[in-house]
Amino acid sequence: MNIVVLYLLLVKATLTSFSGLASLPMVRNDFVVRRGVLTDRQLTTAVAAGRIGPGPLGIYVVSVGYLADGVPGACAGWLAMITPAFLIIPMLRFLGARAEHPRARAVARAVLFAGAGLMVAAAVPLAHDAITNPLSLAIFAASFLLIASARIDSLWVMLGAALVGVVAFQF
Amino acid sequence: MRRPRLADVTALFFRVGVTVFGGGDPTIAILQREFYRRDWLSPEKFAIAYGLARLTPGTNVLAFCAATGWYILGLGGALAAVLAITIPAAVLVVWLTRAYDLTLHYRLAQSIANALLAAAVGTMIGAALLLVRSQLKPGRWLKPIAISSGAFLLAFVVKLTPLQVIAAAAIVGYFWVEK
Repeated sequence: MNIVVLYLLLVKATLTSFSGLASLPMVRNDFVVRRGVLTDRQLTTAVAAGRIGPGPLGIYVVSVGYLADGVPGACAGWLAMITPAFLIIPMLRFLGARAEHPRARAVARAVLFAGAGLMVAAAVPLAHDAITNPLSLAIFAASFLLIASARIDSLWVMLGAALVGVVAFQF
Repeated sequence: MRRPRLADVTALFFRVGVTVFGGGDPTIAILQREFYRRDWLSPEKFAIAYGLARLTPGTNVLAFCAATGWYILGLGGALAAVLAITIPAAVLVVWLTRAYDLTLHYRLAQSIANALLAAAVGTMIGAALLLVRSQLKPGRWLKPIAISSGAFLLAFVVKLTPLQVIAAAAIVGYFWVEK
């Protein structure tokens, strides 16, 4: 598949969606239904590979690019994933001078507090998947306490959790 | 606010890109905590980046990274943030695509990924608590608690989308200006 066409199809999907996996219907329509470049099973593999590793859920478009055209395709997918992110900079520049107004600050604070509520709401379904036994409950509780009460770097929390995962595998 | 070196910003985003599992929300939670701990970003700028990222097409967390990188170090910071957080994850996802069937049966990798996901969830809730607690002051506790609890209920019980919840919070914030 032509690399430019591949990039344009993927960037069309990422530019017209507002969250990581929301581009999936358009990707399926272009790559599976209309052009037959991928099978449904390959698309499922791309989504699963994106969920297994670290990073945003939208990373699956890199996998789609790879399955469509190897490493160059993966690069096109990566570029299509990051392109829309930079649209936020002109939005920030427009807001810049207006951000110090008391009412603008009040709106920003309200959005900040809403963000906290949204984080907890997003954590609940993740917790349902992640906390499946006493060990994962202990890792969850220890991470929560360390992050909420200590000034410890989150890297150590993650590395500690990974180490517990390695030790748990041995038993 | 402290102005860090480009290498420090790149290192933080790189390391979050390889260690945080579970998608955009845990990533934002961890970055928020690290920004505050290092004094790189004010809560107001975090809020603007967070809110606008939801309005930006594509993967919201990448727009959030571009915005916070831009606030911290300008265009160079935005580029460094987005590249550092996506390149390692992109390399890993290509490897995982090749090794998908093998990975499914690779129990050590599963055990580590499960532990990291549990830690990411604990981190998200801990970071949300810190976010609200950092804004509580004598006589100024009602707005943070009311809006964060309301947002949780709107998202979790009423099932509004994050964009709708943020729009509702922005309207409340516009009319509820504290003296």
